[in-house]
Amino acid sequence: MTPRIFLRALGIHKRFAGVNALRGVSVTIREGEIYHLLGENGSGKSTLIKVLSGAQLHDEGELIINGRSYERLNPLQALAAGIETVYQDLSLIPNLSVAENIGLTEQLVAHEGRLTRGFNRKRLTQTARRALAAVGLRHDPHFLGMPVEQLPIATRQLIAIARAIATQARMVIMDEPTTALTQHEVKRLIEVVKGLQRQGVAVLFVSHKLDECYAMGGEVIIVRDGQKVGEGPITRYTKAELSHLMTGKHLDGVRYRVTSSRNEVILQCDALGRDEAFDSVTFLLSQGEILGITGLLDSGRNELAMALAGILPATRGSLYLGDREIKLRSPGDAIAHGIGYVPEDRLTEGLFLEQSIRINIVSAVLDRLRGRLGLLDAKPGTTLASQTAESLQISTTDIERPVQSLSGGNQQRVLIGRWLAIKPRVLILHGPTVGVDVGSKDTIYRIIQRLTEEGVAVILISDDLPELLQNCDRILLMKKGKLSDELHCEGLSEADLYHALLSESSSFGFN
Amino acid sequence: MRRPELLTAALIVLVSVIVGVINPDFYQLSTVFDLLRSCTVVGLLALGVLIVLTAGGIDVSFTAIAAFTMYLITKVTLQVWPDAPFALILLVAVASGALLGSFNGLLVYKLKAPSLIVTIGTQYLIRGALLIFVGTAFLMDIPPSMDDFGKMTLLRHVTVSGATTALPATFLTLLVMAGVTGWLLNRTLMGRAIYAIGGSLSIAERLGYNLRAVQVFVFAYAGLLAGIAGIVHVSSNRLANPFDLVGTELDVIAAVILGGARITGGTGSVTGTLLGVVLVTLINNVLILAGIPSTWQKLIIGSLILIGGAGLALKRTLSLQRTTIV
Repeated sequence: MTPRIFLRALGIHKRFAGVNALRGVSVTIREGEIYHLLGENGSGKSTLIKVLSGAQLHDEGELIINGRSYERLNPLQALAAGIETVYQDLSLIPNLSVAENIGLTEQLVAHEGRLTRGFNRKRLTQTARRALAAVGLRHDPHFLGMPVEQLPIATRQLIAIARAIATQARMVIMDEPTTALTQHEVKRLIEVVKGLQRQGVAVLFVSHKLDECYAMGGEVIIVRDGQKVGEGPITRYTKAELSHLMTGKHLDGVRYRVTSSRNEVILQCDALGRDEAFDSVTFLLSQGEILGITGLLDSGRNELAMALAGILPATRGSLYLGDREIKLRSPGDAIAHGIGYVPEDRLTEGLFLEQSIRINIVSAVLDRLRGRLGLLDAKPGTTLASQTAESLQISTTDIERPVQSLSGGNQQRVLIGRWLAIKPRVLILHGPTVGVDVGSKDTIYRIIQRLTEEGVAVILISDDLPELLQNCDRILLMKKGKLSDELHCEGLSEADLYHALLSESSSFGFN
Repeated sequence: MRRPELLTAALIVLVSVIVGVINPDFYQLSTVFDLLRSCTVVGLLALGVLIVLTAGGIDVSFTAIAAFTMYLITKVTLQVWPDAPFALILLVAVASGALLGSFNGLLVYKLKAPSLIVTIGTQYLIRGALLIFVGTAFLMDIPPSMDDFGKMTLLRHVTVSGATTALPATFLTLLVMAGVTGWLLNRTLMGRAIYAIGGSLSIAERLGYNLRAVQVFVFAYAGLLAGIAGIVHVSSNRLANPFDLVGTELDVIAAVILGGARITGGTGSVTGTLLGVVLVTLINNVLILAGIPSTWQKLIIGSLILIGGAGLALKRTLSLQRTTIV
């Protein structure tokens, strides 16, 4: 027996300033089914979920939710109809408490958005407790009263899902929910989703991680260039077929790294440490080498990256660049020594979203663009930005456009471009392809390889095991703040790497 | 810091102890009455600022609104119906203050402009209109009902030396409005929406909070309180001076900030704000008792804001760093 249809979108069109973001997409969502919406950045999948959640009005087509047709769906109507969306930024209000973030929407919907009503604190607490219990989080009064900004990202993710449960959602849309989670946390998320599914809730995932889609099972909906190009049970497709449908070209697990010419040592870390975060980290990095660093979320790899970037300076040990000892006390020190750092979270840590591509690219080298009298000379900056945009294949005609108008992959390239502008000797890339589609990944990997040919040493910190294997010469594993293993990538399989990552003790006797 | 109000309260105690040690005359009931009387107008204005700051905005036009409503209403009442009952006068002040305030709110919403810019503009506009079209002369005689209200006392106390001090009834307006504001912030959906929008405007809008309603409401509410403050000001001074109040915006905003509200929005409480008002009023009024020249007031308030503000900001940065890196 096929489950009841919850939502049907027919021939949805959406245009932005002459660009067709959606061109007649139709989808059917049934109760208690899991769907994976796949597509490259810019394919229209973000627009589609915004239309389904009422955040954007569609231009043409029909939306039927629970048998009722909507011409103009607003966010409150979508919520009232039972559609809850967990956006990538989770849409949690940072200063409000856990309980309020979970339970307020329910009351807002019940009063149809009228703010002149009293709010029921008792009901808020009850709802929050019930929803938190359902996702397996604690629900004592202390936790209920904590502002969400003080909680780690994985907990916030579950709170966002708890909110969906609290509003008794019939359909939950999750935009790349696993990006910031460790594998353990992803497992927990999947359990919660299965629980929702059992209660007849439809779940629509937007994800780039195909492995997780297979692990969860369900249906896929593939979009490309604003059109649906495939749908059906995920088991019907192979990974290569999915990639092919999404990109329109064939991509498989090619190894990008070809030459690993060993040159002279450029960076030497000697027993580096900081507080409790990491300790006695020692390694060498050569010119033109790509060194991968990975580990679980609490392994200290993030802190190590930030220490090398001067953001959270190391408190122990020493660092040599070439044959000189250097001290990195601030990001400015790192830049001055030619160490560039591309952070993981480009939206909050890296880019000035409202500023132009040009300003974002030149922002780390402003002192070099200083003309006479110390005034900023616009011309070299424009030249530099145009050249960078061209060499990184940033797809835009105008470098004066704000960065936020670009797709995720292009934004990431702007960020890399900024660090190339400082002509780095060492470039630290932290999760360079997080939230980036398959096609853009390909471009970014090629850029990284090209850099090493010019002698730049790259440290690649990532969770994405295939990414590490495809790009690195060596991979260092971190566990509990210490280096636990050093693996050579040539001939290493993903299974070996995964095994080494999870094994308790050091198998190669490193360190 | 979980409860920034505690810091404000501690500062009040500290200032009181220091002043009391230097001048033991400080410890008497009349000091308390004086303090509460001086707090009333600043307190009413501060409650308005609190609401706007919590919603992530800022308002600097409220003093102009207060001056405008108090002067216009006094003048019109004198000409049209000098014996108008006080309740009616207050009601008109509430309505006109709210109307002027909602104009701010609509501008901020429609123009998507920073509220600082908008309210600097409207402050000049309202003040200009007042001085050009309404008048510049002091009104020494005020309507009798306002005069009576100003003279009404809640508590009376005769000191040993035979002098009487009294707590005026005007103080009640502050108590009532503090209660209303507290109820509004903590017990209504509007209150939660104000915190939500102050926390993150774009997310709150996406979650279905009505941005227009909230922005118009907070500025209208600040205007409403300014209207009340204006009438209270005239009633207790028995004089309507169109040049009064304007220029004290920063004192009021300072009081709210010292009460623990963040200028970036999303935090703030009525208790904290009232404590902040007491602290600023205390410093403004009693330093003289301690033999400190009144010119030192600004220096001291400025230092307190820097210490308090920097302390809170630092604490917040540290706690955020801890969570994001885990």
